[in-house]
Amino acid sequence: MIAILLDGIVQGLQLSLMAVGITLIFGLGGVLNLAHGQLAVLGGISTALFLGEGAHPVWACVLGVLTSGVFGLIMDRTLLVPAYRCAGEERLLLGLLITLGLSFVVNGFLDVRYPSVALTLRLPTPSFSVGDITIRTASAAVALIAVVTFALLFAFLKGTLLGKVVRSIMQNEVGAALCGINPARIRTLIVALSAMMAGLAGVVQGLFSSLGTELGNEFTSFALIVAVIGGVRSINGTLAAGVLLGIVNAFASYYIGAYLTLLILLATAAGTILVRPQGLFAFRT
Amino acid sequence: MTPIRLAADRVAIAAITVVLALVPLTLGGSDHYLRIATLMLIYMAYAVAFNIIFGHTRQLFLCLGALAGSSAYLSVVLVIRLSLSPWATIPLGIVLAALLGGAFSYVSVRRGLGVIFVGIVTLVFSMIFHNLILGLRDWTNGETGIETKGLGPAVLGGGPTSYYAILAFLVLSLVVYHLLMRSRAGTAFQAIADDEFAAELAGIDVTTYKVLAATVGSALLGAVGAIHAYYGGFISPTVYALGSVDIVVLVTLLLGGMGTLLGPVLGGIVFTVLDEAVRPLGRLNVMVYGILIVVLVVTFRHGLVAMLRKRLKIPLP
Repeated sequence: MIAILLDGIVQGLQLSLMAVGITLIFGLGGVLNLAHGQLAVLGGISTALFLGEGAHPVWACVLGVLTSGVFGLIMDRTLLVPAYRCAGEERLLLGLLITLGLSFVVNGFLDVRYPSVALTLRLPTPSFSVGDITIRTASAAVALIAVVTFALLFAFLKGTLLGKVVRSIMQNEVGAALCGINPARIRTLIVALSAMMAGLAGVVQGLFSSLGTELGNEFTSFALIVAVIGGVRSINGTLAAGVLLGIVNAFASYYIGAYLTLLILLATAAGTILVRPQGLFAFRT
Repeated sequence: MTPIRLAADRVAIAAITVVLALVPLTLGGSDHYLRIATLMLIYMAYAVAFNIIFGHTRQLFLCLGALAGSSAYLSVVLVIRLSLSPWATIPLGIVLAALLGGAFSYVSVRRGLGVIFVGIVTLVFSMIFHNLILGLRDWTNGETGIETKGLGPAVLGGGPTSYYAILAFLVLSLVVYHLLMRSRAGTAFQAIADDEFAAELAGIDVTTYKVLAATVGSALLGAVGAIHAYYGGFISPTVYALGSVDIVVLVTLLLGGMGTLLGPVLGGIVFTVLDEAVRPLGRLNVMVYGILIVVLVVTFRHGLVAMLRKRLKIPLP
């Protein structure tokens, strides 16, 4: 019982790690990134490739996450520029279509170039026990990584001047620009940061089981569901929704099967948009 | 609609009919190419439907495959289970698709959802559809799919007859499109596409017209979906997957030009030729689609028709 709960929380944290990127990019750039899962897969696969080259596992992971970040940076500076030039609905639509196309490009490329590469990371001790519960070391590690990342993210957003700048752009891009902030530079920073978090989520998947090239779309859809349920403009909401969804997913998969669970999650996402478009947990960021 | 545009529309539909009717004669009796040409007609009809929904009223439906598929599955499953005639079940499928599409549109307009949220809701619906088809194994055979050979109307059995039957359907849908656009609704669509808020202020009932566009478009999608099912000889979730219908139709419409009569047809022709050209690349075609979408969206947003209009200086419809 508690094992399922813990499992759910850890899965949820991983989902949040991806979804928070979608929230940030949408909140800041007004672009719904449909290639976000692909960024995660890219991070994971490049880690696997670095490992194959004989790099130390820790360095491989760092390099993999950085690869995602660099890819995000390039995406922001080249592909998304036409979208940023427009405003309002036009920008949303363009961003959506561009990232949709990009997700196909990344999927197709990885499928053809590295069809059999998969990332599996093994930790020295498979599990340890606290009291009478056995905990997988991997789960503990994932939870730790996610919590630290979120703590850093919140510290950055709430504690630093740059974080304040980020939040001001999320609230009102024109207003921020009038105060002398350059939204484009901050946007690049945040897109790269989000891409790195997605990459981290991809690498972390390798700790759980294994990460293959085919997971991209699944990642994108789950991250999208989490971001939507949490509210696509609320970071707190996304974190809460991710953990909640992870727990629901774990329990429901255990008791009623994965198939119905997925349907319930999808229906919840659709229902949320219709009933509360701002998200179930939309508090002030 | 001005008389000149009315005449241009009529000439264009006549020209499309003649040109496409001549296509089988140029293929030299090859069954393989005839099949590709017929599928091209089917995708053109999908694009006409999507053009009404997205090109004219800016409702980003990412569930084209799911709408077409729900109509197709309903029709095929009823034919198999209750041994009804396909002629009786196809209309049921069309009604189902129209109701679903209309409902999505009504709810999104009422809730004031922006284009992106309409996209997400419909995307979620197509995921639900996909999973339902996989899960309702007893009825749908899951991933394996259902053979539809010999179930459908005899005219869709294959060969040149099917080509001309489907061409007739495509021309019919273009005529419906033309009639819709020259009616009051067409003017309203124009206003909504230009500026929804201004249209509302000018006294246009935006809700009604958006729901109308979505319903007509979805009914058309349902009809094409059923034709696709019976002509294709086989249905499975993959046939109606996002990647096999929605993306192709999106690229087709973007290539041809949104909100134009000729767009879906021209886009369909160019896309089919391109698709055949990249076929030898095998699985790389997914990547090619992706690059196409990005390039089209970034540089060629107005499509072939707009380009030709500029180059040739004639009012192409």
